[in-house]
Amino acid sequence: MAEREPVIGIDLGTTNSVVAFMQDGTPTVIRNRSSSNLTPSVVALSKTGKLLVGQIAKRQAVINPSDTVYASKRLIGRKFSSPQVQDAIKVLPYGVQAGDHDDIRIAMGEKHYAVPEVAAMVLKELKADAEAFFGQSVRKAVITVPAYFNDGQRQATKDAGRIAGLEVLRIINEPTAAALAYGFGKSVNGKIAVFDLGGGTFDVSVLDVSSGVFDVIATGGDTYLGGEDFDNRIIEWLVFDFAKENGIDLRKDRMALQRLKENAEKAKIELSGSKEAQINLPFIASPAGGGAALHLQRTLTRDKLEELCGDLVAKTISICEQVLIEARVKPSDLKEMVLVGGMTRMPKVVEAVKQFFRRDPCKGVHPDEVVALGAAVQAEALTSSDSEVVLLDVTPQSLGVAVAGGYVRRLIPKNTTVPTSVTEVFNTSKDDQTTVKIMVLQGEAEVAHQNELLGEFILTGLRKARRGEVEIDVTFEINSEGIVSVSAKDRETGLQQSIQVTASGGLTEEELKRILDEQADMLLEARSGEELQGKKSELKALMKEVETLIPQLDKATQGSEFGKDAITKAKSALDAARKAFDAPVLSKVTESIDTLTRTVSLFKGVLERIK
Amino acid sequence: MSAETIDIPAERQQEILALEAKLKANHFEVLGVTPGASSEQVRDAFHALSRKFHPDRYHGRQLGSFKAKIDTIFKRLVEANNVLTDPDRRQKYLDDNPFVRAAIRSATGTNAAFQPGPAAPKSAEEEARDAERRLRLARHPYLAKVTKIQEHLSKAKAHIAKNEFSHAFSLLNIATQIDPQNVEVKTLLADVRKKNEVQRSETDYKRALEFLNQGNEELALQALRASVNASAANHEAAFKLAALLEKTGGDIKEISSFAQRAVEAAPQKVEYRVLLGRMLEAAGMKSLAKKHFDEALKLGPDHPDVKKHVKKRWPF
Repeated sequence: MAEREPVIGIDLGTTNSVVAFMQDGTPTVIRNRSSSNLTPSVVALSKTGKLLVGQIAKRQAVINPSDTVYASKRLIGRKFSSPQVQDAIKVLPYGVQAGDHDDIRIAMGEKHYAVPEVAAMVLKELKADAEAFFGQSVRKAVITVPAYFNDGQRQATKDAGRIAGLEVLRIINEPTAAALAYGFGKSVNGKIAVFDLGGGTFDVSVLDVSSGVFDVIATGGDTYLGGEDFDNRIIEWLVFDFAKENGIDLRKDRMALQRLKENAEKAKIELSGSKEAQINLPFIASPAGGGAALHLQRTLTRDKLEELCGDLVAKTISICEQVLIEARVKPSDLKEMVLVGGMTRMPKVVEAVKQFFRRDPCKGVHPDEVVALGAAVQAEALTSSDSEVVLLDVTPQSLGVAVAGGYVRRLIPKNTTVPTSVTEVFNTSKDDQTTVKIMVLQGEAEVAHQNELLGEFILTGLRKARRGEVEIDVTFEINSEGIVSVSAKDRETGLQQSIQVTASGGLTEEELKRILDEQADMLLEARSGEELQGKKSELKALMKEVETLIPQLDKATQGSEFGKDAITKAKSALDAARKAFDAPVLSKVTESIDTLTRTVSLFKGVLERIK
Repeated sequence: MSAETIDIPAERQQEILALEAKLKANHFEVLGVTPGASSEQVRDAFHALSRKFHPDRYHGRQLGSFKAKIDTIFKRLVEANNVLTDPDRRQKYLDDNPFVRAAIRSATGTNAAFQPGPAAPKSAEEEARDAERRLRLARHPYLAKVTKIQEHLSKAKAHIAKNEFSHAFSLLNIATQIDPQNVEVKTLLADVRKKNEVQRSETDYKRALEFLNQGNEELALQALRASVNASAANHEAAFKLAALLEKTGGDIKEISSFAQRAVEAAPQKVEYRVLLGRMLEAAGMKSLAKKHFDEALKLGPDHPDVKKHVKKRWPF
């Protein structure tokens, strides 16, 4: 029998990446050429113009902050104008610019790179590591992404694979991969939950496992919640106090920011094992008027860290609640609880998870490696005819079309097993309408423009008739590769139009809203309900509280740089909250509640310290 | 087959063609389970079929015309599984397709909407014993069918006159085994079966009330379960059971299934609707819950339960 071509599984992480393969029926990590299992997802252009990837790139980050790119996964498949990207830019030492279609360009040296190109550099490195291991070329891979990645982010990851010279057999979800690795070769039968808190993203999935069949029942998460956010909270804390004492905002200095980041991460990791960590940054800044260099020296306790990040942990738990409801299971129905991702080493996270799921998480999975191992299991299952593993994966977000009035009509709800297809009948919305526009949307928002636009097309040549008389069949299909295609057919004439969704439209939220408004005949009308009412009064109370806190803080910080910054931010949060209050859409109201809660706790903390 | 080369074993090709041919059948039949099978049974069947028919099993192979067939089959399996494992969607599917409900009734002889669990199937041993008994009875030279049946019939009628339905029931049962075609026995048996169920259900219900009086909730629960199992029509027992389970912290799904039974058997009872609504709400099925609350409000706007639970929830 001819030697089978090697296939690999890749966990392309925010912080670190891992590559694995199936060795005689056991998933095994392939070490990189510096004998480490983890390759930092860092890319840099050295001063001599050399491209560096992995540990070597990470090591030189402090002396070369503006040309060292880390956490690019947080940017992949996103729009430049999205609030997440705008927020990220403030704390990223490297240059991020807008491309022609509201896409993102990363600057390294003289050149600008698309995010998939940067991700491809990491993938190329992993591919080369695997090739060095096998002594032959590797072309096929399964790559994992956070379960909550949308179609655009998945497509961008696939593009990265293609640029790196890999045939991406399948993109699979990280928590699913973790479950595959955990359940593979064991006789696990029953429902298991996977809690995956990584460097940049959070996912939770519930699966039903029965002898080799891995059936995902529900999945949820937040693509912008991970270790990076914990680090940023520590950075904010350090920067704030430093600004108060010395009147210097360290974030303005790229090199200082890079050092802060490294030390914040280090302290966070240290606090998983000990109660206290020293943060020591000598010569971090020089005073504006000259004089001796300034040093930053602080002690961070575990309690303080938990206080700074309490809301982040609470958010993961509330997402778990939601997913269990969607899966229609109680914590007691679960057979196992698997923890994945480096952040699950934090004692506070473990404690919160234990309390919510009312059980000890299972031991014996390596939180950093389990995802790559699972990817290898799936790669094997796809390419070998005698594998016993079948993965029944789901679509993590709902798919639908925009309908008159600015709403979404969902055809495929989230957590539907793929492949799947659904057909629904639609009518014309106006008299003598001969053309309909089909706008394909992904997301959970109730109003159309807050969802992601995947693509659009027009069906023309309809018979002139009264509104509602012409019937159009709209069919949504997701094939086993995860590719979405949509078609519309005029029932009378049999005329048909279709698209295959391949890349995101690249529209900003405003553009999308404008386009939808132009086509809408009626005004937006949000659904109201008791939940919304409750949230609205909660929001109102918070708005009042922030309003009273602002003058207090202003007085306390005496017009310092940081104080001003914080107050401007709080004011814009208040503006957003007022808007959310006036145009009540549940998701917006909830979002504002989150922001204001954070503002309040920050302000209170500050006032406490100053007193 | 045609000239195309297909990288699937011939045997599996036949299975694919056979399943493709029955995709138009109802959801239960497509998955190959008995009509009315429980959520768990459905899921197991779906998993077993996925092992054979998931498109990933054929990834990278030469499939020709079979590619589309496998895709279509799997999507159909997903649809069937999704509908039957979601209580709301299952209910709607049965409401929209009365013939499926009828199929369930003839397959299990019970109410279609809520299955309390897999109906206890006869063990192979029991089946064999039954068959053997039937055979022996038929062969026996001394048991001339007709006289024996008449004898059983007259005894049964005497019991019926005295309201002793369980005795009558077993006698008639024997009689049908001797001659399954006898119309008189069959009609009488159907009637007695129902009355017997009602009677048993009533007795158990009374027992349960006594236990409750004595404060023994555990025994009361047992008796109520027996009562509900005996007759689907006993809405008082179903409601009491649901309420007691709620009080003792039972499983929400179970509670709502009993509350559902109570509502189905007596749709006009306000307190049943309110309880069911509350349970559905607690299980996250808000829209269904609202339907029942609305109904309760319509039926009895001044009912104390409505005042207590519904009005504060739904500001109309």
